[in-house]
Amino acid sequence: MAKMIDALRIRLCLKRIETLQARKTFLENLLALQLNRIDMAKAKQERQCRQQTDISLAHTAIAAGEANGYVTAEHDRRLEQLKQRYLLRYRALRETYKRKLAKVLSERQAEIKEQRERAFQALERRKSTALAALEARFAPDADHLELRKTAYAELKAKAETDLALRLQGITARSDRAREKVSARMIKKIEGIERSLLAREQATAALKDKLPKSDYGIPEDVLLRIENLTMRFGGLVAVDDLSFDVKQGEIFGLIGPNGAGKTTVFNCITKFYRPAAGRMYFRKNPVEVIRLNDYPVHNIIRQGIVRTFQNVELVWELPVIDNLLVAAHTLFRTGFFGQLIHTRKLKQEEAVLRKKATDILAMLGLLPYAHMIPFGLPYGILKKIELARTLMVDPRMIILDEPAAGLNDAETRDLARIIRTIRDQNQTTIFLVEHDMGLVMDVCDTICAISFGKKLALGTPREIQADKAVRDAYLGEE
Amino acid sequence: MLKLRTLLREWGKNLNLIIKHPYFGFVVFGALLLVVLLLRMGGLVQIGVVNAVVLTMIYSIIALGFSLLLGFGGLASLGTAGLVGLGTFVMGYFSGILNWPLLPTLALAFGIAIVVGLIVGFISLRIEGMYLAIITLGLAEILRAFFISYDKFTGGFSGRSFRNFTIFNQPVSTEAVYVTITVVFVLAMIATINIIKSPTGRALLAMKNSDSAAQSLGISLMKYRLLAFIISTVFAVLGGILYIMYIKFSYAPQWNLAFSLEILAAVIVGGAQSIFGIILGVFLIYGLNLAVLNNIPFFVQNPALIVIFNGALIVLVVMFYPGGLIRLIQTSHFKLKLFLQKLKHRMKVRRYGEDD
Ligand SMILES: Nc1ncnc2c1ncn2[C@@H]1O[C@H](COP(=O)(O)OP(=O)(O)OP(=O)(O)O)[C@@H](O)[C@H]1O
Ligand SMILES: [Mg+2]
Repeated sequence: MAKMIDALRIRLCLKRIETLQARKTFLENLLALQLNRIDMAKAKQERQCRQQTDISLAHTAIAAGEANGYVTAEHDRRLEQLKQRYLLRYRALRETYKRKLAKVLSERQAEIKEQRERAFQALERRKSTALAALEARFAPDADHLELRKTAYAELKAKAETDLALRLQGITARSDRAREKVSARMIKKIEGIERSLLAREQATAALKDKLPKSDYGIPEDVLLRIENLTMRFGGLVAVDDLSFDVKQGEIFGLIGPNGAGKTTVFNCITKFYRPAAGRMYFRKNPVEVIRLNDYPVHNIIRQGIVRTFQNVELVWELPVIDNLLVAAHTLFRTGFFGQLIHTRKLKQEEAVLRKKATDILAMLGLLPYAHMIPFGLPYGILKKIELARTLMVDPRMIILDEPAAGLNDAETRDLARIIRTIRDQNQTTIFLVEHDMGLVMDVCDTICAISFGKKLALGTPREIQADKAVRDAYLGEE
Repeated sequence: MLKLRTLLREWGKNLNLIIKHPYFGFVVFGALLLVVLLLRMGGLVQIGVVNAVVLTMIYSIIALGFSLLLGFGGLASLGTAGLVGLGTFVMGYFSGILNWPLLPTLALAFGIAIVVGLIVGFISLRIEGMYLAIITLGLAEILRAFFISYDKFTGGFSGRSFRNFTIFNQPVSTEAVYVTITVVFVLAMIATINIIKSPTGRALLAMKNSDSAAQSLGISLMKYRLLAFIISTVFAVLGGILYIMYIKFSYAPQWNLAFSLEILAAVIVGGAQSIFGIILGVFLIYGLNLAVLNNIPFFVQNPALIVIFNGALIVLVVMFYPGGLIRLIQTSHFKLKLFLQKLKHRMKVRRYGEDD
């Protein structure tokens, strides 16, 4: 009895630790986001300030012949405008005379051509006067140049001290804002850390008293499949299959068409209820769960996320919102909070949108972020599905034929991405694939099955050398 | 001078933010509808127009709930009418006859709505598509039979009028009811857009696209199906409550399949995923004949043609614009822009010749 209560307490504690950790990461991300916003606002204000100073000095600068940045920029802009305008006028003239020439008889053409020349010359003259006027506007005043120069220097010095003062003010204000935000957030985060610590100590104290609840699974095993069997009517799709997937490896499941690979995935993610067999998953370093006990929509919360053999996206939503759909379990705001769009919901959205943007950037999908996925190339859609799995920081990603329909370059890119994902987050990757090149290239361990039965398990080299595997594949072909 | 300019620019930016805000359109729309009331009080518009506006608002609320179910959740239901009828009778009987205060009456009505939503939601977990639609139709027919036979409450086949509504012990004028309906309408639009643009709305869409993908992403079918049905039943009952407060008369046989189908048609004609599209659809189905067609002598002489006109409209829209009329407006806007661009280019070429 006491043991059961202890077990219950430890379970509750672990659950609480999980939520606290989620809240902590949320707050940290939010803090980073808010600080970033403050910095951007600061940069913008500074830019505006500098621009204003430049504008206010412009007239004196011109007169003193000390072109500052603003003056030269303005001069170049107007020059460009002027040239464009005259180019258009020239083209309009040319077009008019072309039409006129087409209309008249050949004897009058010489006359028209002469007219055209005159018109062109007149236009040229007007252009040069306009250019001269422009240059005059931006030319320094010849008389009292020295006086003007000193006046400008004075004004500039004053403006610069002014500017420095204003910039200081801006910095001070933004620093204050930063401090305020950080102080508030850090206080919250520290509070969470304290209760985390307390809970961790409590669980540590309790844990020694409890019998180990890891079902005798070695530390380095992430997923253990034991005697898995799945039947559809009379057909045995998976037949007494057992294997281990180790932490942090890229594990490949191969087999001819209809071997039962997708069925294995569907059993792990609980779309099917296996006829027999147990599936264990190491949810965190200390806790192992039996996947058999969880409903299908809770699998993602345990740290397993999958893709489908045929792309399954939300076609009405832009790509980035598709990623947010995948972050569904990370939202903590309840329905009524969503109904009135509370501040908390907005903050959560902002944080998760940032995360989605980062993931899209990592996979090179940023240009597609705001497009509707409908009609995008197949390779991109596959990548979006992969991006979606990354939203929840899973411990294991299950990929069902990620390279199907990709060309060679895309497949190589995919291999690189799969490795990056594994290396960056220590995520274990479990994939089914028919492209042997990819499988042999990226996988650390491969399991080959045929008609639901295990043929061989080992490194790519061992699998390639295995007789049973060769027979299964050759027999099929 | 410079300062003033930057100030104006800042202000312009803020204004832009306000205009771009999704609520802005709704609030302005609500304000325009209130202007209709002012015009009526000034005797400038006919009562038919006001009735058309009010009915469009009430039915739009119902259609908004329905669109969350159909357009986002992908769930079919033909039981809308029963719930609207329920709203009218509960509000009418308890508030209008028994003089219950407002809040308990509302609590009762919404409580019933939620229970019905839960029942249908649970059924939807087992039965899908057409069969689900037929079951909801059956439930609505049971409700209708119930209204007709319990004539003590509902007046049965002769209908019943409910006149003496009081809100917080004050008798309510028609104008006050109009304002209330407008406010509730705007709030319903805001609530709908908030749901659409939140994790719930995305979850509903994910469910509509693929049950299995949604589940693999942690979306519980049970939770969101129940939620979708509850939202739509609550909106339907709300519509019924507002209806009885304005029309003050409810006729049991009126809440039949035809009514549910008209709501369905309105949502499809307008465009199931756009709020203004739905309102447009409702106006075309319900408001148009009241406000416009009934004033055209030709249609007044041949009332049957109004029905034919509506039917033809639905057929045409469904055939040529499966995305709803709002899609037509959006694409024609886009096309107009494209056309103007081309025109500009053509003029330029004409004047200046081809680009060098
Ligand atoms: N829902 C189901 N109902 C009945 N039979 C099924 C079902 N799902 C799969 N099967 C059968 O189980 C066997 C294994 O199918 P599965 O989809 O797992 O193969 P696979 O290895 O993924 O093949 P592929 O390489 O073509 O994707 C097949 O014979 C298939 O017909
Ligand atoms: Mg498969």
